[in-house]
Amino acid sequence: MTSPSLPGEPAHLTVERPGLGRYRTLVTIPLLLMAGAVLVSLAANAYWISTLTSAAALALAAAGVALLYGQLGLVSLCQFSLIGVGGWVTLRTGFAFGWPFELSLLSGGIAASLVGVLCGLPALRLKGLYLALVTLMLAGGFQVIINAFGFPDGGSGFFGRADASQRLMLPRPLLATGNEAYFLYAVGVLALGLMLIELHRRTKPGRSWAMIRAGETTALSAGVNLLLYKAWAFALAGFLAGLAGGVLAAGVGQLDGRAFSAAESLNLFALTVVGGAYNWFGAVIAGLLLRAVPSLLTDHGVDGYLAMVIFGAALLHALVTAPTGIAGQIAGLGQWLTGLIASESTPSPAQQEAPASDKLAAETGERRP
Amino acid sequence: MKHLILAGAATAVFALSAGVASAADAPKCGLANGQAATGTPINIGAIVSKTGPDDFSASAQAAKAYFDCVNANGGINGRPVNYIIGDDQWNPEVAAQLAAKLVDDQKVVAMVGNSSFVECAANANTYAEKGVIAIAGVGVPRECFTAWTYAPLNSGPRLSTLAVAEHINKTSGAKKFVCIAPNIPNVGAWACDGVTVWANENGAESSTILIDPGSSDATSVVLQAASMSPDAIILSLPKGVMLPVLVAAEEQGLNETIKFGSAASGYSLDVPGALGAAWDGKFVVNMEFQPLEAQTPDNMNWRAVMDAYAGKDVPRDTFAQAGYLSARLATEAMLKLDPAKIERDSVATALSEVKKFESDILCAPWYYGAELSRHNANNTLRNSITDNGKWKTVSECAAVNDPELTDIRAFEATLR
Amino acid sequence: MSILLAFVVSGLGIGAVYALSGVGLVVLYRATGVINFAFGALGALGAFVAWNLIELGHADALAWLAAIFVAAAGSYAYGRLIAPRLAFRDPVVRSVGTLGFALVLLGFIGWYWGEVPRRLNLPTDKTSIALFGARLNMTRIIALALALAMVAAISLLLARTRIGLYLRSLADDRDLSAILGIRVVQLEAFAWGISGVFAGICGLLLANLVRLQGMQLTFLVVPAIAAAILGQLRSLPATAIAGIAIGVTEACLTAVPMLAPYRTAAPFVIALVAVATMRASLLTMDRR
Repeated sequence: MTSPSLPGEPAHLTVERPGLGRYRTLVTIPLLLMAGAVLVSLAANAYWISTLTSAAALALAAAGVALLYGQLGLVSLCQFSLIGVGGWVTLRTGFAFGWPFELSLLSGGIAASLVGVLCGLPALRLKGLYLALVTLMLAGGFQVIINAFGFPDGGSGFFGRADASQRLMLPRPLLATGNEAYFLYAVGVLALGLMLIELHRRTKPGRSWAMIRAGETTALSAGVNLLLYKAWAFALAGFLAGLAGGVLAAGVGQLDGRAFSAAESLNLFALTVVGGAYNWFGAVIAGLLLRAVPSLLTDHGVDGYLAMVIFGAALLHALVTAPTGIAGQIAGLGQWLTGLIASESTPSPAQQEAPASDKLAAETGERRP
Repeated sequence: MKHLILAGAATAVFALSAGVASAADAPKCGLANGQAATGTPINIGAIVSKTGPDDFSASAQAAKAYFDCVNANGGINGRPVNYIIGDDQWNPEVAAQLAAKLVDDQKVVAMVGNSSFVECAANANTYAEKGVIAIAGVGVPRECFTAWTYAPLNSGPRLSTLAVAEHINKTSGAKKFVCIAPNIPNVGAWACDGVTVWANENGAESSTILIDPGSSDATSVVLQAASMSPDAIILSLPKGVMLPVLVAAEEQGLNETIKFGSAASGYSLDVPGALGAAWDGKFVVNMEFQPLEAQTPDNMNWRAVMDAYAGKDVPRDTFAQAGYLSARLATEAMLKLDPAKIERDSVATALSEVKKFESDILCAPWYYGAELSRHNANNTLRNSITDNGKWKTVSECAAVNDPELTDIRAFEATLR
Repeated sequence: MSILLAFVVSGLGIGAVYALSGVGLVVLYRATGVINFAFGALGALGAFVAWNLIELGHADALAWLAAIFVAAAGSYAYGRLIAPRLAFRDPVVRSVGTLGFALVLLGFIGWYWGEVPRRLNLPTDKTSIALFGARLNMTRIIALALALAMVAAISLLLARTRIGLYLRSLADDRDLSAILGIRVVQLEAFAWGISGVFAGICGLLLANLVRLQGMQLTFLVVPAIAAAILGQLRSLPATAIAGIAIGVTEACLTAVPMLAPYRTAAPFVIALVAVATMRASLLTMDRR
């Protein structure tokens, strides 16, 4: 952390902490997540375990979207398609080789990260809304292709379709065949994914990304390899989306093409922004918003369409009222509380500081340099 | 005085006829004893596709109407049915979550009246593993007809598509077919392949056109089909996609030169009216069940149950017929059990022993077939043609000649 | 060859709708910097209102006017009430906000009218002319004429009227326009209303040419965006031509058996190829 504090850099990146302190999040992420997951797995019934497993998977994908948007100010609207790519490869290799699930998952992640880099190619020439729309075109194309080919289900040939016989289900990892165990497994993968991002943010890639975000000319003059670090970010975001697809695939046992429409990618981005793209737990909130909130509404007998109305209205409300997302508000509240406890005499500046600087970061990155 | 007597007699006659009428209209279900069931409820589940590109929920709503009727008429030997319906929103992930809720949390003894486009693929294995038998209303994709414990009441798009092609071949001598279906794996190609295989074995030929159901350009599809100069065009499409194709065909004047037929998805009371006079006598559809307005006893009873226990907004369509049948079948199977011992295992055994479930809504008695690894009992079908804004039944029940039914036919031979 | 011409003719109808949708999107984008993902949903809402009025026995013309009015009013209301609250956010976030609006509309349509397949009949369906072995009904011809007429009209409005001048200045620099005393918020809402008129007309045409179904109509906005991209989000004539070209290409792919089942991907592939080959300077027109 020797680089000067840039105007576009989120506040917590520039804060110097002594010794290993700056890696503290790397410990808090797994501890908090796993503790929460164990509590949930003790209390929840099968419906909620299954719902929250999906939420954990989608949180991984949201973390990738947040990485691109929060760190680099880039918008990719094809991340849900990358979930599909990861899921496809996980299923295909899982059925083909019958090797441990972890290897399938990894191959799904790697495949999605390669495709993610390809999707990111337009970002070398484009940014802002143009990039977003072009990636949306990619998602539209993927929707047509995956609907026509479907996901592998244990058949032979390249596409692996078992059209004439009974469909096979992808076995879950040996470590976690039961529902509760698999939920913990999914949260474990989520924790690893979030730690991977956190590690990047706190080392050289994170600094390079912050520079690119502050302005490509600045970054170039500081010797940042634009091509490498942009591609790296897209690869990492794709990798996480791919893992999400693999975790989803083994959760149900297979996937269905109809669930991967272009609109899902839009939805994923929207809820990542609502969840908060500037804090690690924003992705977790986004995952919950994507899966747990709709389940909560339908579980309480709310008509599917009315749930859609409520969801849409809540999305608008959150976008309008929380520029840094729900996570940003929670972080602001947390800092205000710690400030309050630390010194009773000066509570208010701490309250304003974090959200304001995050908001500044959000805006400077969004404006044309 | 005479006047009075006459008046009294008239009243008596009137009362009598009203009594007869209400007796004919009164729905019959379960024990039919008019006593509300008060025992420990029996949980039964259903998963339907409601929110999404089409609404299949009528199946479970009709089953619910029947179970409500059963609960008001003695229940299952005193125990009411607690019928829990889930909407999978056309999303297999949600379907799996609902299966976890119903099978693991609510401990349902069986699934009855399911009608979903995505559920079979997602949940068939779960049901088999957990020993739950699903007596579905309407199954669409192939997965619904290749599962161990999933048994739909309908015949599925493959048989339905082939049945209408066979009928057109028989009545008009058509030899050259084009089959149009959605490019959804395990739905479209599967349905049209049936026609191709049958055509090859019977001196005819058939080509398949797969279209993206989200496609917005029906005219090009129709032109493509016409360019193959077929004798007949067979549609195996959802109703919403099928109508624009027929309209485009009419625009191109094809309804005058080519025969048109459709799988049962085209059978809906509003279709002949929506198509108009230009299609009179020119559009044949297959029917998986008795015509909706048929005045046969069980079909009348279905309508009576719907009128008494389902709201006016619940469609009286083929999905509802299927849901009614599945609920009636499950009720009759459970009534044979000791009410104290109605559990998942005993219900699964009772359902798997159903060998001859009769209803005039079906062409032939329905059976489960515990010895079979898959279930497709409804395979004898009728056809119907557009006639003056209505449907007119044009064929007797006929067994479908799908080579894929070899295992089913072999089993049926052992039943007789 | 003649069969290919027949596909060209059949693609003109849907191409016209892509063109109209694309132009409606670009008009709004130029004025406000927002891509309206709710465009299709607004059109669907209008079409459902029209269908409902016709079912109730009202005159067709009244129903169509109501459809256009409802779509325009809905769009204007969003532009006046909600869009300004997001005005200082990232353009992508402002566009994604319309997704929330689209979900509200789509949910309302599904809840109120249900997802039962329907079709909106227009009196122009029954008359048709034969062209190259394909018949083109009046609705398609009207769609095509309407697309050309509306592009001409909106171009005239932008070029010749005072409001057009304001809108163009807004497109160039929003902050500067505000300093010059242009009432930015009102003007933007006006652009939302205009875009809503386009949405309403597209909704009516699509409900007739395709089908009246909320989801289908809502997400037809995605291929329309392809037309807008080809018009570089700026040029109205280029967007209109691109829309028609996309429709025709999609239809012509039917003649290629290998590609026919995937031809709905045509808009996306065309847009991606165009972006890959466009000059970089044309692609940096990101506003604000």
